[in-house]
Amino acid sequence: MEQLTDVLGAISHPTRRAIIKRLATGPARFLDVAEPFDVALNAITKHLKLLERAGLIDRERRGREVFISLRPDGLRLVSEWVHEYERFWNRKLDEFEGHFKRQQRSKKR
Amino acid sequence: MNNPKTIEVIVERTIPTSQGEAFDAWLNPKVPGTPWNMAEKLLLNPTVDGLFFWAIKGMPHYGRFLAVDRPGRIQHTWMSPNTSGLESIVTVTFKGKGKDTLMTLVHSGLPDTSGGQSHDKGWKFFLDGFQSQLAKSGAA
Repeated sequence: MEQLTDVLGAISHPTRRAIIKRLATGPARFLDVAEPFDVALNAITKHLKLLERAGLIDRERRGREVFISLRPDGLRLVSEWVHEYERFWNRKLDEFEGHFKRQQRSKKR
Repeated sequence: MNNPKTIEVIVERTIPTSQGEAFDAWLNPKVPGTPWNMAEKLLLNPTVDGLFFWAIKGMPHYGRFLAVDRPGRIQHTWMSPNTSGLESIVTVTFKGKGKDTLMTLVHSGLPDTSGGQSHDKGWKFFLDGFQSQLAKSGAA
């Protein structure tokens, strides 16, 4: 449960989710990970530390370079936590609510 | 079957309409978001002991209405390939909240498939954009 809490915390930030998406395509060097973000490298380092603490990434030194790779098993904890039917009903109720919101907007026009 | 582990899913929304309208809409297959909407084949008899059948992408769903108490509560059983032979129960309640309606859907008696085949779907779902679901679950 403790790791799940760490994982949920780690993926609660859009930058960290973007880093995960980037790493899902394969290992990358620190500067490659940081490149798409318009933030200080120091901030990226902090995001990576949080991801590492949650067990979501690994760092590996290859010669003079450090490569960062995704450890997807931690994310599996999240998929276990959210049941298939929870996603199904959330989608359904979003559509249902959306139907009435659209009706409400068209009445106001 | 040896008392399989089951779980309960609870989803809540505030619907911008009256309790009666929300109740009626939930039983109207033409309304988006209802379980019956978009079905390829649909049989629906929303009375106590009335049955429903719907199929989407060839996946059949069956159930029996246990309660149809306008405007407050609808309850029916729910069986599909995803319930692994278990008769799960869906209870939808509608409570007036000013001009709106607080709608609560409880799906209980679901087999805990998290250790099984839903893994792959969950994983793919995450990579496709898990963020919004997490936000709804209050985790983000």
